[in-house]
Amino acid sequence: MGSVVEINPLTRLEGHGSVKVYREGVRVERVELCLTESPRLFEALLIGKSYLEVPEIVCRICSLCSTVHKVTALLAVENALDAEVSQVTAVTRELMLNGGQLMDHALHLYCLVLPDLLGVRGVAELAAKAPELLKTGLAIKRAGNLIQEVVGGRLIHPVNICLGGLGQRVGKEKLRRLKDELEAVLPACREAFRLFRTPFPFHELPASDFLALEPVDLPLSAKLCRMTGGGSFTVRDYRDHIEESVLPHSNAKYARVLGREATVGSLARLTLGASLTGSALDIFEGVKEEIISRDIRGNSLAQAIELCQATERALGLIDRLIEMGRDGGDNLKPVPRQGRGSAACEAPRGLLIHSYAFDAAGICTWADVITPTALNQGALARDLLALARGMEGEDTAQMTTALERLIRCYDPCISCSVHVMRV
Amino acid sequence: MNRPRLAIAGLTACSGCQLTILNCEDEFPDIAARFELAYFPMAETGCEADALFDAAIVEGAVSTPADLATLFRLRGASRILVALGTCALFGGVAAMNNAISTREELLLQVYGEGEKVPESFAPAPFCNFVSIDYGITGCPPEKHEVAALLSALLAGTLPPVRHYPVCTECRSRENLCLLLEKKELCLGPIIQGGCNARCPATGIVCEGCRGPVREANVAQELELLLERGFDREEIERRMSRFRPEWNYGERR
Repeated sequence: MGSVVEINPLTRLEGHGSVKVYREGVRVERVELCLTESPRLFEALLIGKSYLEVPEIVCRICSLCSTVHKVTALLAVENALDAEVSQVTAVTRELMLNGGQLMDHALHLYCLVLPDLLGVRGVAELAAKAPELLKTGLAIKRAGNLIQEVVGGRLIHPVNICLGGLGQRVGKEKLRRLKDELEAVLPACREAFRLFRTPFPFHELPASDFLALEPVDLPLSAKLCRMTGGGSFTVRDYRDHIEESVLPHSNAKYARVLGREATVGSLARLTLGASLTGSALDIFEGVKEEIISRDIRGNSLAQAIELCQATERALGLIDRLIEMGRDGGDNLKPVPRQGRGSAACEAPRGLLIHSYAFDAAGICTWADVITPTALNQGALARDLLALARGMEGEDTAQMTTALERLIRCYDPCISCSVHVMRV
Repeated sequence: MNRPRLAIAGLTACSGCQLTILNCEDEFPDIAARFELAYFPMAETGCEADALFDAAIVEGAVSTPADLATLFRLRGASRILVALGTCALFGGVAAMNNAISTREELLLQVYGEGEKVPESFAPAPFCNFVSIDYGITGCPPEKHEVAALLSALLAGTLPPVRHYPVCTECRSRENLCLLLEKKELCLGPIIQGGCNARCPATGIVCEGCRGPVREANVAQELELLLERGFDREEIERRMSRFRPEWNYGERR
């Protein structure tokens, strides 16, 4: 007899979603991942707005990723207007992205994933049962947030980064204070991987096709998307290589990249050769056998390595800003013109693409946002089915717990994902 | 001591208001100890869906039948309902085009013709559907205002309500006035303060993310901006970003 097991709502992740497992006896027929977040329609709301307004509005897609949405939007608009910002602006923006990643990974690992490892319900129980661990995680998160506050002017939806430059350059005193705070959490970041190395109690999943931006030396200038198993394309031509369709049960569109189901995020970045340095590199060298060329189960460990990378990278960027002092270039004032521009960044959850077209007066005529969670949706659905099939006959509660844990491996951000591209 | 039972949830939103609670890193262990987080799907598994609460703190605009059902359920199950953030209080960014395009047009633009279109109506604030007991504005809200609310709830009360514009704090910080001295499109005079003029302090105009201040002199602001050469369409577009309906004739 057919039955349906539903997990609704999915918990300890951003946004609204549910999972339905359709069974025939013990046999799993199919698994439906429903991203039921209300449609936000940002791509339509942006049409008719000026080029100056687009980044300020579009960062509201998502709070967890607001910094990277704003930076990517700024880059895409500047690309359309053929404006190249100063070094100090580029370095400051990259510092913000590292702060965003630190905040986001710490939140995900220590508040949302850690309860799974310790067998508790959530962050409140963590506070009672593992107060020191939670405090460590919150301290790392706080350091990332401090970058947002001091450099971006606000914790969420940063204000100080704007089209063509910065509202205000960050002073040396503030940078030094930031440095102290980041150095204080660096030892904890270096140790984080031990905790998140804990293997997941479910069996092997299908191997992933990873997709990430090619690492480059200059801040925020990556232009090439690369995929494991061969294949690459430039950000400018992304629409020729990413194909999206609407699914009946989900408000996010389902994307295929180069005809395959791509996986983006921390593990994808490490697999495709992120330029790690310092202790992040040492940790990676020590654990890479466990995660590389495997499946998504290694993503939490990859995120833990990136905690270390983001902190060390941020410290390096702060040093550069202090060195630059008053040099490094001024703001520029982009002039509206007709054109189209695209840009991509590595968001905490993976590849993020923004693309806009403007008329001669600088009014937006077309907007498109491809989010990591929309890209991951196909791979996540595939893995959910594989996991559910592998657990046929096992206790239902055990299966639903495992499915939720698998979803957290992908660290989805559902409010991002429903800002789908137009067809 | 009985710990107050909280529900923390989101409707059509970016989760930023809920994240603001989790961003209280220094205070969070205390919050977890003093309150029972009975329903908080973003951070807790195994939430009791049909429980009763002392307070429900909810973010987001109402734009789908599911949003409305959640809002009615939490209103009915909770002694105090707090609208958290600009979307919950004024509609927010989701509602910015309410006056100029229909929901059907927007859905069609994004999801295309002939495909499955999600059920959705023009995003609206809570007060269109239910009574609210308290509101915290901001996109995102300020951490200190969330902390003040939680402290007041513990004391069995609610925090006082502020009624002064962004300019009050902006002037006391001695920022350069972007509206009068730089002739930029700053909305400070008509927007609710409490943010310590974050944006003007970095040289960026107030974009109005905290919604209207009580007794806003909207007509005067409009005249000032028109005099400075901004066209009416641009002004209205900027003003609608976080709240679609303004009475442009309102004068105090």
